[in-house]
Amino acid sequence: MPAIELKNVSKLFGPYTACEDVNLAIAEGEFVTLLGASGCGKTTTLNMVAGLEDVTSGDILMNGKRVNDLSPVERDVAMVFQNYALYPHMTVARNIGFTLKMRGLDPQEIKTRVEKVAAALELSTMLDRLPSQLSGGQQQRVAIGRALVREPKTFLFDEPFSNLDAGLRMKMRAEVKELHQRLGVTSIFVTHDQEEAMSISDRIAVMNLGRIEQLGTPEEIYAQPATRYVATFIGSPRIELAPGEITDAGSVKIGSITIPLSRRLKPGTKVELGIRPEHVRLGEAGIPATVRLVQPVGPSTHVTLDWEGGVLMASLPGFVRLSPGARTRAALDPDHLLIFERQQP
Amino acid sequence: MSFARLQHGGPLRQTFIGLGLALFVLWSAAPVLWLVLSSLLEQKALIAQPPDLSFANFTFENFSTVIGAAAALGRGIVNSLIVALFSTALALALGAPAAYALARLSVPRADAISFLILATQMLPGIAIAIPLFIVISRLGLIDNVLSLGIVYLSFNLPIVIWILRGFFLGIPAGIEKAAAIDGAGTFATFWHIVLPISLPPLSAAAVFAFVEAWNEFFFALILTRQQAQTVPLVIANFAGQYQTVFGQMMAAAVISVAPVILLAVLFRNQIIRGFADGMMKG
Repeated sequence: MPAIELKNVSKLFGPYTACEDVNLAIAEGEFVTLLGASGCGKTTTLNMVAGLEDVTSGDILMNGKRVNDLSPVERDVAMVFQNYALYPHMTVARNIGFTLKMRGLDPQEIKTRVEKVAAALELSTMLDRLPSQLSGGQQQRVAIGRALVREPKTFLFDEPFSNLDAGLRMKMRAEVKELHQRLGVTSIFVTHDQEEAMSISDRIAVMNLGRIEQLGTPEEIYAQPATRYVATFIGSPRIELAPGEITDAGSVKIGSITIPLSRRLKPGTKVELGIRPEHVRLGEAGIPATVRLVQPVGPSTHVTLDWEGGVLMASLPGFVRLSPGARTRAALDPDHLLIFERQQP
Repeated sequence: MSFARLQHGGPLRQTFIGLGLALFVLWSAAPVLWLVLSSLLEQKALIAQPPDLSFANFTFENFSTVIGAAAALGRGIVNSLIVALFSTALALALGAPAAYALARLSVPRADAISFLILATQMLPGIAIAIPLFIVISRLGLIDNVLSLGIVYLSFNLPIVIWILRGFFLGIPAGIEKAAAIDGAGTFATFWHIVLPISLPPLSAAAVFAFVEAWNEFFFALILTRQQAQTVPLVIANFAGQYQTVFGQMMAAAVISVAPVILLAVLFRNQIIRGFADGMMKG
């Protein structure tokens, strides 16, 4: 039985549909990320799981029990918010302990549990400080502490690192992953950062326009994107797609260039062809292309190429010396070509 | 032109702003200065044309006379204190939950209700004076400080609701969501989270309500006789049928405005923050 299950869940705000027919089953102890651009419905979905938003239609089940009408407390979820949402007038200790106070726990028990959580999150020396006296990372740790102290059945994270700088974001990401490995609590994480989603999740649900476009492991999402949207949303540098048509021989023809395919498609089908930048190699063989831009980023060099099909991105290992305007050839790994049927207008 | 320069302006702009502010302070402070000066002048020097401001005419006699005949003024101050504190406490106790409900809970047509509450202030006091007098007198509550406090609530409550509603609208929704996740219901969220972070606007609203009640003259005049007379009425009584002792009247006025000024000085930071926060959204 899934720990959390969403069955045909929809949410309407007046005439605006925020989520439509969302179906998702999360196993006990699993870490699932809702990934998508802003406005795709991921936070609304999370809020509905938390009990902070009513469900317009559909059912949310926790351990098989319908929880649509239960309050957040009755659902036993803890949540970490994007803007930390710490209580500005309370010290770190009171912020962490507030939830226990609301549950009527004995002050001594609250103190013990707060101190234990604070020690685990390296907040012990800051218990008497106000949130305004903490750095962004420390505030985020307090927010996590507030969630941890409850020992809940489910953790919900709403873009918890989006206000942190890049370095701190990486650190906090590792801390949350470690925490999950240690505690094994079922977690739903919301982010618009695909790298964050890839690095932290057991499975990712890519959302677009209120729907789940694809649900799968990070590897599946990356290597076998189910839709054009998933293919272009995931991956950095971004994948470029070229319009073409399937020939009688089962290849794809883009302009005057014919590229063989490893899978069979109906001849005449209008398609878009793409390939992840790391599966492109430059050299003597392949399609003719012209170097437009060279961007070394350390471990690899991103090369933007112009070819007959438009733009092609290549990611080459290490530092590569290429001059803009240079003529080259790009070899595309046929096993990693991505093909999407084009929607007919 | 640099951004900093654009923000702060050149020396000419600075001078212009400084002069403008000085003029505004002079305009606002002039009546208070004249009040203090008048309270320290002898009657003949005060009514001379022009007033004789020579040092020899300054005296504390007006103050000693007013304090010497302290019974009326003392009672007035006590009555004013009771009325103002009672009205302010009630306005906050009723206004804060009402403002919170209108700002954050799903009250249908909250904006329309808020506007209606404000619209009650558009009616001049005199329009309701006669019906109010009839109601209060039939209830046998004429010359009663508490009934006066309740009447003052009619104009204090809308202002308190509007000041606080503006602030509550600006509280990040995440804080209330966090409280809900932490197990706090609506009342616990209001009590433990919203009220403590609303101290500046609460102070601003309280000082505003207190000053309004302290200064009110018209309703106090028609709804009190002797026992419940408030400070403004006691001061007005210094104007006699045949002679007005301006110096004593001004000395009494200085004594009566002292608590209000003290309040404003003590809570000035909260008042400024409270009004500024309240104006962010409304």
